[in-house]
Amino acid sequence: MKGFLAQLAISLRLYFRNRMAMLYGYLFPTVFLIAFYVLYRYERVPLVRHMGELLTVTILGGACFGLATTLVSERERGVWRRYRLTPIPAGTLVASTIAARYVLLLSAGLLQLALAMGLGMPLPDHPFGLVISFSVASFAFLGLGLVIAMIADNVPAVQALGQTIFLPMLIIGGVAVPLASLPDWALYISAFFPGRYAVDAIQATVDGEGLDAAAFSLLALVLIGLAACVAGAGMFRWDAGQRFAKSPGRGWVAVALGGWIGVGLLAQAQGRVIPPELAAERSAAAAAVDRTRASAPLSPAPLPEIEPAPVVPEADEPPASTDSPQTNDGTSDPVSAAGPTGTQPPPSSGAPAPAPTDEVDAGTSVPSMPEADRPADAPDTDPVDTAPADTPADAPAVDSEGAEAPVEVPEWQKVTLAQIMEDLVFDRLPPDSGVVTPVAAYDDIPPEDIWYELDTIQAALETWPPGRTADVLDRARNLLLVPAVIDVYQLPTEPYVPLMVFDILQRDIDSEVLIKALYHIAVHPDEGGDEAIEQLHLLGIGRGPVDMYEVRGRLGVYAVKLIGRITGARPGR
Amino acid sequence: MVSVRDLRKRYGPVEAVRGISFEIQRGEIFGLLGPNGAGKTTTIECILGLREPDAGTIEIAGLDARHDPAAVRERVGAALQTTALHDRITPREALRLFSSFYRRPVDPERLLERFSLTGKADEAVDGLSGGQKQRLALALAFVNAPELVFLDEPTAGLDARSRRELHDEIRRMRDDGHTVLLTTHLLEEAEQLCDRIAIVDRGRIVAIGAPQELVAGSARRHRIVLRTDRPVPADLLQAVAGVAAPTGETDTPSPPAAAAAGRSNELTLQTESAGPTLLALLSALDAHGIALEELHVQRATLEDVFIDLTDATAAERAS
Repeated sequence: MKGFLAQLAISLRLYFRNRMAMLYGYLFPTVFLIAFYVLYRYERVPLVRHMGELLTVTILGGACFGLATTLVSERERGVWRRYRLTPIPAGTLVASTIAARYVLLLSAGLLQLALAMGLGMPLPDHPFGLVISFSVASFAFLGLGLVIAMIADNVPAVQALGQTIFLPMLIIGGVAVPLASLPDWALYISAFFPGRYAVDAIQATVDGEGLDAAAFSLLALVLIGLAACVAGAGMFRWDAGQRFAKSPGRGWVAVALGGWIGVGLLAQAQGRVIPPELAAERSAAAAAVDRTRASAPLSPAPLPEIEPAPVVPEADEPPASTDSPQTNDGTSDPVSAAGPTGTQPPPSSGAPAPAPTDEVDAGTSVPSMPEADRPADAPDTDPVDTAPADTPADAPAVDSEGAEAPVEVPEWQKVTLAQIMEDLVFDRLPPDSGVVTPVAAYDDIPPEDIWYELDTIQAALETWPPGRTADVLDRARNLLLVPAVIDVYQLPTEPYVPLMVFDILQRDIDSEVLIKALYHIAVHPDEGGDEAIEQLHLLGIGRGPVDMYEVRGRLGVYAVKLIGRITGARPGR
Repeated sequence: MVSVRDLRKRYGPVEAVRGISFEIQRGEIFGLLGPNGAGKTTTIECILGLREPDAGTIEIAGLDARHDPAAVRERVGAALQTTALHDRITPREALRLFSSFYRRPVDPERLLERFSLTGKADEAVDGLSGGQKQRLALALAFVNAPELVFLDEPTAGLDARSRRELHDEIRRMRDDGHTVLLTTHLLEEAEQLCDRIAIVDRGRIVAIGAPQELVAGSARRHRIVLRTDRPVPADLLQAVAGVAAPTGETDTPSPPAAAAAGRSNELTLQTESAGPTLLALLSALDAHGIALEELHVQRATLEDVFIDLTDATAAERAS
C-alpha cells in the first residue's frame, strides 16, 4: 500500500513535470470542447447534449494514448526493469500507474465540465451519477490502454495501435458522430466498441435519466474493462524483449477482444443495437404505418435519400439526386406499377391504367379551393380511371400541360392517401433531435437570445408573399423552403421554425390536400421554383449563398415529417 | 551468503550457462569476470530471479532464491546496467519511492549524504553527470540495507577519478558488512577491488580464487620485456625456451613455459622461473653479439591469467 501510494504520487508529479503530456492531457480536451462549441455555434445549449461524447473522447485519449505511452516509454527506458529488482509486485505498480492516470482523467474531465459550464452549459442533472459513469468508462478504457501497452513494443507502436482503435471508435463507434446519424450497419459495428456505451452512460447522467437508464452501458463497460485487465495482467512484461515469449501471450489478446465481442453479442441479443430513442421513433412510426397500410405488402424503402446527413460517411447518394425515389425501386416498370397494391408513382400524364377502385373516393374529396388556381397544372380529364403507369416516374407532373384535362383536380392530387402511406417510409427519417432537419419538441423553450428572431419570423410569415400564394402546392413548397434554408444555414432558430410553418400549413390547408401536396414535394423536390428564397430577407433571414441541392433534400424531409405528424405515422415529440 | 550449484540455462540451441557453481562468503567482494557472452549476465539474472534457470540451486542468505524471489529481493540490492530511472525524477524522489517498496528501508536523506548526492538531491536525473547517476544507482541499491549487493559493471563509462571514488565506495560497503557481487570486464579493477574472483568463459567457471592466488598459480609468473640493438634470431629463442622447462604445477592445460612475442628487436618473454631464463637469455644474446638496450622483469598480471585461461578454452573448443 505504501508502495502503491508512493508510485501514485510520483506518477502524478512526473506527469505534471512533462509539458508535452500535460499539453496532451489537458489542452486536447479543451480544444475538442471548443471545436464542438464552434461547430454548433448556432445552437445555444449544444454542449449539454455533447458532454457524453466530449468526456468520452477525453477518456479515450488519456487511456489509449496517455496511459499506454507512459507505460511503454518507461518500459523501453528500463524503469520497469529497475522496479523489478524490488520486492513490490508488478500488479501493485501497474494498478498504481493506472490509478494515477485515472486521477488525471478525472481532473481533465472536471476541467472540461467547468469550461462547458462557463460557456453556458447547465449543471449536470446527476452529478454523482456522472462521477460513477465517468469512472466506469475510465475503467474500461484504461484497461484498453493497458492491453495496448502490453501488445506494443515501443511508443510508435502505441500510436499506431491507438489510432486503429481510436479513429473507428470516433467515427463509426458512436463517439464523435452521434448514433442517431449513423447508418444501421455502423450501429451494428458500434455495438462491439466500448465508445458508444461510454457516451451513453455519461450522457444519461448529464442530461438524461441517470444511472438507471444506462444500466446496460455500465455493465458493458465493466465487462470490457474486466476482460482488458485480465488480458493486461496475463500479458504483462517487464521489458519489451519478453514479448510473447510463450504462446499464451496471444491468447490473452483474445481475452481482451472477447470482452468486446461478448458485449457486442449481448447487445445484439438484447436488441440494444439501435439506440432506444431511435428505436422508439422507428417503432412508433412502424406501428402507425402498419395501422394506415392495412394489408399492403412491404415495399422496398422508397426514401433512403432522405437521410442526407452530411455526417454520414457513406452518404454518397445525396438528397434529391433523383427526381423521385421510385426510380430506384423499379416501380417505373409498368408491370409492377400496374399491380393492385398501388405502389405507383404519383400521377403524371394521363396514360390510362387500372387504378385501385377502393381509393376512388379519396380522389373525389378534394376541396375546391386550389383547383381554380392551377388549371394549367392539372390537365387530367378523369381522375378516377387514369392512374399512371408507363410514364417514367421522374417525368415532371407539370409537363402534362395541355393534355385532355379538365380543371377540377390537379394531377398531383390524384394520388390516394393509401398510396402515399404505402410509399413513404417514416422510420428512415433523420431524427427530430438530430442535426439534419431538426424539429423542436412542442414543449421546448427556445433560448432567450433568439426570441426576437423567432418573433420576427412568426409575424412576417403571416404576410410573406410566397407564403400567401393561392396555389396550394407552391404555397406549401415556399413555406417549407424557410425551415429548409435555415437548416442548411444551421441558424439557431432551425428547430423552431419548422413548427411555425407546420402550424400555418395545417391551419390554412385541408389536411388531405396538404398531405398530397407534401407528398408531391417530397417525391419531386426538384420541381417548382425557388424564387421564394429571394424573399427570405423579408423574414429577417440573411441571404447568403445556399446550396440548393441541400435545401431541396431537406425540403423533402420536412415535407415527409409533416405528413408523419398529420397522419400520426411519425408523431412529433 | 550465496551458494550457486550447477546452474544451467539454455536459450534455444545455445547453452549460455553450463553448470556454474560458486560460493560467496559473507563480507567479501566477489567478482565475476569473463568476456562478453560468457554467461555472466545470465548467471546474475538467474540469481536475482529475473530469469528462470533450467537447473541448479541458488541459495541466498539461507533462502531458496528460485522459490522465494520476493523474499530474496527484500534482502538484496542491485544496480544493473540495463535499468534506468525516469528522466525527470530527482534523486530524493527516487530514493523515497524505492524506499517505499521495502519493509525496512534506510532513511533516504542518509543515503543522499553517504553517496554525496545531497547537493544534487532535487535536480532531475537527466541533469546529473555519469558519476552522479552511478552513485544514485548505488544509493538505490542500498535503500533496503541489503545483506548482498549486486553491481553490474559499476564503473562502466566513468572517468578515472569517478572510478576511484566508486572503488572506495564499494570497499566501504564491504567494511560496513555488506557482501558485494560485481561483474566487470576490467581486470585491473577486479584485481584491485575483489577479494575473490571467478573467471567465467563459455558458460563455465574456468578459475576461481583470490586474484593473487590466481596469478601465483599461473604458469607464467614473470614477464621479461627486452629491447636489443638488432633483431634476435628465432633459433636463439628456441634455445632459451628449452632452458626454462615447465614444471606443470598448475591445472591449466599444459601452457608453454615461455613464449615470445613482439617485433624482432623488441621481445616479451613469459616464464615461470625468471632467474634461469634470464641467465640463459643473456648468455645467448652475448654469444650472438647482440647488445641489450632495455630489460624489465615483471610479475604476471591477472590479465595474463585471464587471457591464458580464456584462450585455453577457446583452443579446447577449436580442437
